[in-house]
Amino acid sequence: MELRVIDKEETELAIEIAGEDHTFMNVLKGALLETEGVTAATYDVNPEQSGGQTEPVLTIKTETDVDALDALEDGADRVIEKTEGLQDAYEAAV
Amino acid sequence: MEDYEVQFVDRSERSARFVVRPITPAFANGIRRAMIADVPTFSIDTVRFIENSSVMFDEQIGLRLGLVPLTTPPGEFERGDEVTLSLDVEGPETAYSGDLVSSDELVQPADENIPIIDLKEEQRLELEADAVLDVGKEHAKHQGGVAVSYRHLQAVEVVGDAGEFDDEEPEILRGVIEEQAADAAVETGGYEPENGQLVPTEAFEHDLTNRYPGKDVEVTDIDGAFVFDVETDGSFSVDELVVEAIGTIEDRATELKESIQL
Amino acid sequence: MMVPVRCFTCGNVVGEHWEEFKHRTREAEDPEDPAEVLDELGVERHCCRRMLVSHKDLVDIVAPYQ
Repeated sequence: MELRVIDKEETELAIEIAGEDHTFMNVLKGALLETEGVTAATYDVNPEQSGGQTEPVLTIKTETDVDALDALEDGADRVIEKTEGLQDAYEAAV
Repeated sequence: MEDYEVQFVDRSERSARFVVRPITPAFANGIRRAMIADVPTFSIDTVRFIENSSVMFDEQIGLRLGLVPLTTPPGEFERGDEVTLSLDVEGPETAYSGDLVSSDELVQPADENIPIIDLKEEQRLELEADAVLDVGKEHAKHQGGVAVSYRHLQAVEVVGDAGEFDDEEPEILRGVIEEQAADAAVETGGYEPENGQLVPTEAFEHDLTNRYPGKDVEVTDIDGAFVFDVETDGSFSVDELVVEAIGTIEDRATELKESIQL
Repeated sequence: MMVPVRCFTCGNVVGEHWEEFKHRTREAEDPEDPAEVLDELGVERHCCRRMLVSHKDLVDIVAPYQ
């Protein structure tokens, strides 16, 4: 996973996450939208045939007192909370 | 940590059906995609032919060997690891997947009765093959999950009695329902009506009029409740596939977190 | 030629069941109903069922021309 910051303001972030696809990006976006302080989160990927930008670009906007990069970290934490929770629930049900 | 509830409807070594709630569509789809494309399995990738006097070309046999599922215990190997197998069969005889001899006892053909090639008198197949651990995203032969899908859990509401002179048309529904109108239901397929119970639609032959005779019903999706249908090709058990798939998403979140902190 | 190892559509392994299917539906003294045999073998989806129902072994026919 290689990260490349495209645009960074206090409350805005556009970052390229190389090597990922919808599998992870959509889960991450969903988690970001549930994260406190995040006002908007989206991602964009283009098909390989497009010839242009093909790596996913994640865009986040946050509330004034929240740093966008911190919000991304919180979003990743939220994904981990979900995966750990579901793994435990599955193993408990087996 | 997030709280989830998992309930099994069916469960066996190679296939299972279970309900997860409360789960977002994004997360449910992430897991489905991870089960198909991101959990690595062993599959034969390179074949060295010592003798092939069968009626098929080397490439055709190579393709068939690649499709044979090989057992892949999770956590024992890294992506890219190789295991060598060999096959030596002389006609008249059929070469089966079970004739493959592996150099690693953990990696064996998951099914032993797959015919590779029928050999006639004086025909012989002798080869050495390298199986490599890779993911379904790279090649479909590495997919561990087969026909993995999910759909909403559904609720059936009785809204009234069917009109006395209405045509008796079937009301087809596929999936799993959560019983919420036990009073109006009859026992079908061994499922005694009880509110809150999960009933696969097979129990009433996918026809709601068998379960709720003479009633007018309305079907709704239950928010945040998904029924997963998971099957594996035998490379590992369903439990291993599900846990590994969730694990691949977690690994990526951990990696992202570490990359940000740098 | 030889029975496909997997179902073209869903990727389920069908080759495993071929010999039993062939024996019980075509070679046995009193052949069974293919639909029932497939149910018993656990080949449920119609994409996988057609793989076995429509297959014909051709090795015996091509062998002399090798």
